[in-house]
Amino acid sequence: MVQANDYSTKPRALPWELRRRGLKDSLRHDQRVKEAIRKNLRELIAEEAIITSDGTKRVRIPLRYLDQYRFKYGQPPQGVGQGQGQPGDTLGQRTGNGNNPGDGQPGDQPGEHTYEVEVPLEELAQMMLEDLALPWLEEKSERQVTTTSYRFTDIRRRGAFANLDKRRTLLENLKRNAAHGTPAVGHLRDEDLRFKVWDLHEEVHANAAVYMLMDVSGSMTTSKKYIAKSFYFWMVRFLQLKYRKVEMVFIAHDTEAQVVSEQDFFGISHGGGTRCSSAYQVALAHLEQHHQTERWNTYLFHFSDGDNLPDDNATCKALVETLLPHCRMVGYGEIRYRDDASFYGWIGQADAAASSLQYALQGITQPHFLSVTITHKEELWQVLQQFLQPRETAHV
Amino acid sequence: MFEARVAELEVLACDQGLDFFPVFFEVVPQDIMTEVAAYGLPTRARHWSYGKVYQHQHLYGAMGLSKIYEIVLNSDPGLAFLLDSNPEIANLLVTAHVFGHVDFFKNNLCFADTNRHMVNDAVAHALRIDAYIERYGLEAVEHLMDIGFALDRHIDPHTGLQRQPYPPRRIVEQEHRVLPYDDLMETPTRSVTYAVEGERFPPYPERDLLWFLITYAPLEGWQRDVLQIIREESSYFYPQFNTKILNEGWASYWHAELFHLYEGVAPDEMIEFARLHAGVVHPGGRFAVNPYYLGYSILVDIEKRWDQMHAAGETPLTGREKLFEVRRTEDDLSFLRNYLTPDLVKRLNLFAYGSHCTHPPGQQCTQCQHMVITSRVRDAVVEALLAPRYNYGVPRILIQEVTTNTLYLERLDRTTTYLDRQYATNTLTYMTELWKQPVHLLTSDERGQDTTLTARLASAVL
Repeated sequence: MVQANDYSTKPRALPWELRRRGLKDSLRHDQRVKEAIRKNLRELIAEEAIITSDGTKRVRIPLRYLDQYRFKYGQPPQGVGQGQGQPGDTLGQRTGNGNNPGDGQPGDQPGEHTYEVEVPLEELAQMMLEDLALPWLEEKSERQVTTTSYRFTDIRRRGAFANLDKRRTLLENLKRNAAHGTPAVGHLRDEDLRFKVWDLHEEVHANAAVYMLMDVSGSMTTSKKYIAKSFYFWMVRFLQLKYRKVEMVFIAHDTEAQVVSEQDFFGISHGGGTRCSSAYQVALAHLEQHHQTERWNTYLFHFSDGDNLPDDNATCKALVETLLPHCRMVGYGEIRYRDDASFYGWIGQADAAASSLQYALQGITQPHFLSVTITHKEELWQVLQQFLQPRETAHV
Repeated sequence: MFEARVAELEVLACDQGLDFFPVFFEVVPQDIMTEVAAYGLPTRARHWSYGKVYQHQHLYGAMGLSKIYEIVLNSDPGLAFLLDSNPEIANLLVTAHVFGHVDFFKNNLCFADTNRHMVNDAVAHALRIDAYIERYGLEAVEHLMDIGFALDRHIDPHTGLQRQPYPPRRIVEQEHRVLPYDDLMETPTRSVTYAVEGERFPPYPERDLLWFLITYAPLEGWQRDVLQIIREESSYFYPQFNTKILNEGWASYWHAELFHLYEGVAPDEMIEFARLHAGVVHPGGRFAVNPYYLGYSILVDIEKRWDQMHAAGETPLTGREKLFEVRRTEDDLSFLRNYLTPDLVKRLNLFAYGSHCTHPPGQQCTQCQHMVITSRVRDAVVEALLAPRYNYGVPRILIQEVTTNTLYLERLDRTTTYLDRQYATNTLTYMTELWKQPVHLLTSDERGQDTTLTARLASAVL
């Protein structure tokens, strides 16, 4: 008794919309991976795997949101294996989360591990930053900068040998030989040669310069610097999405400041005290020399733990106010842990919400100045959001 | 040519006593094969998790790391998929193997109550779920299916798919028999007493969590239907999960046996057959025993032993007759317990492995990271093989009672095992979403101490 719609014997009678579901569902799965990354952003933004993946184009990130939950045992699995060995012999080490021994999975249960996906860094940055906007972006249009670049646009018979188009040349040679009845490459003549010709290409775009200032005094611990590093990582990625050219200036300071390389910036650590004004001074000098206001959109950020010499605070405030007209934005981030009693903070105003530097800087009323406090690396996302939210254009 | 040889093999199989449904063979390309394998059925309600499996298998197939030779479905008539790119001899082997499987589906008692029309029903399920997606949105249906899949192994396959609700609360008359010395009691007992039935809810601890929620949680009709679809499909797969070793062993035994007897194989094909057979019943890795190999080895051992006993007059059953009895009455648990002998454990060189730590589970020490051979004793090996197969591979969780709408669950085996806490909490939250009231689970922590996990609706917390 075969029913009219018996799909077991007549699979081809299937309705069209039910065919090839694997592709549809794997597209849906990809979509969910993206969603999961988006939901995960707050945690991912401080993920070490991403920040430290200098140079690699793709990053692997663990995704917890794609787990399919069920009641499962928490203890590491036992199993049955085969081969030589006495009870007590060590077979190997567990790897990863302990669910998979070296080669092969125990039993025939599907292994359950944290799902990891590989994403191009650029795509990830785009996703992370798509809700963010560059404050006061509009002003940029007044100071658009044109640059010229070279593009190969045409092919000619004469030109410099450096620009020889080998592929076309061989093709021409082959065509000419074929026309004479021998379809092969050989007997090159001048008339076969083809050259690439370039044109000047003008592009209108704006440039950005980021001044990254960081306190490297003794009280800035590695984990505090890691927060600053993560912040700068995303800030640079973000600016690169908005501007064609982003110049980065790294300024490290304790009581004195200097322009350093990126590598040194995150590597160095000094003992001793802190004089933040030194960094602002160096920044101001560098800015006036290299990044004039007319041509550059300059962003200046400073991270410190706020342990500034008390008598330096007023100087800092004055310098920031001098810097502000030159910059799109000046940001000050104070990295503070509640549990570390820092020297000056402890002596002076242990219970004050803001350290003296932040307190002094808060007196600045200019809207292009922002000051935030960060106490934990999970707050990084909020800090980025605070710095990078669309704002009304200030009246200049 | 191929069809003729399949027909010859079929006759041969019947002569040997195999008893199977008519089988339809479908020869398909690799990606269709991958798709059927990912879904478990040719057409099934869509869900993103199948896409995850499909992608994974597709990648592995494309990289040449895995090849699916055959898929056979428990249905009447039987339905089997063969790979079009396989050489004919490989597909012939698969055909013989499939006859073994279909015979097993038809005759093993675990499969007696299975839905033999699941291939068709799953198509109907898929169409229904598509309609719900159209109506209620992909996100809503998908999330409900996430919840259903989280609980789909907590079913009771023995109560049947269409289960009636518990009897309602009612008062029953119980006649009291007058006992000889009743008159000596100070207060005379009545001849009729009244007892309340159905007072407890549920009347007994309930293990079919999915059925309970479908029946008693405040759900809409379409939601019950989606969950019931998941429950039905999970019930369909339960016996296959429960007989993996025996079923594969049986099918492997028969493709080997039929090819011994089959004369239509050219010598060069026989070499290819031997190579393929060796691949199917290869022992597996150091950390995992291939179920095909294990089942096959045990069956061969049974046949040999019973033939010997039969020759010695100790049993009326010949080896082959004994095999047919095993095929009818055993599942993996009983099969391994009854027939994986100490002798065979030694011969196959099996051992149980795990951590060799003496401290309570949940603590960490350097030893924890080491995988150690824990035993070569037969019982320990059998139990280590069975542990992941027990109770559909999931912890045993019962609904103990419902008090003022709050659901109280209890996990058994609390002193010896513990749950992954994060997974348990999230699964409880899923249950709360259906039940709409708090759900408590009595379980144990890593040190074996009782502890209660609780999930409440997010809105209730605020």
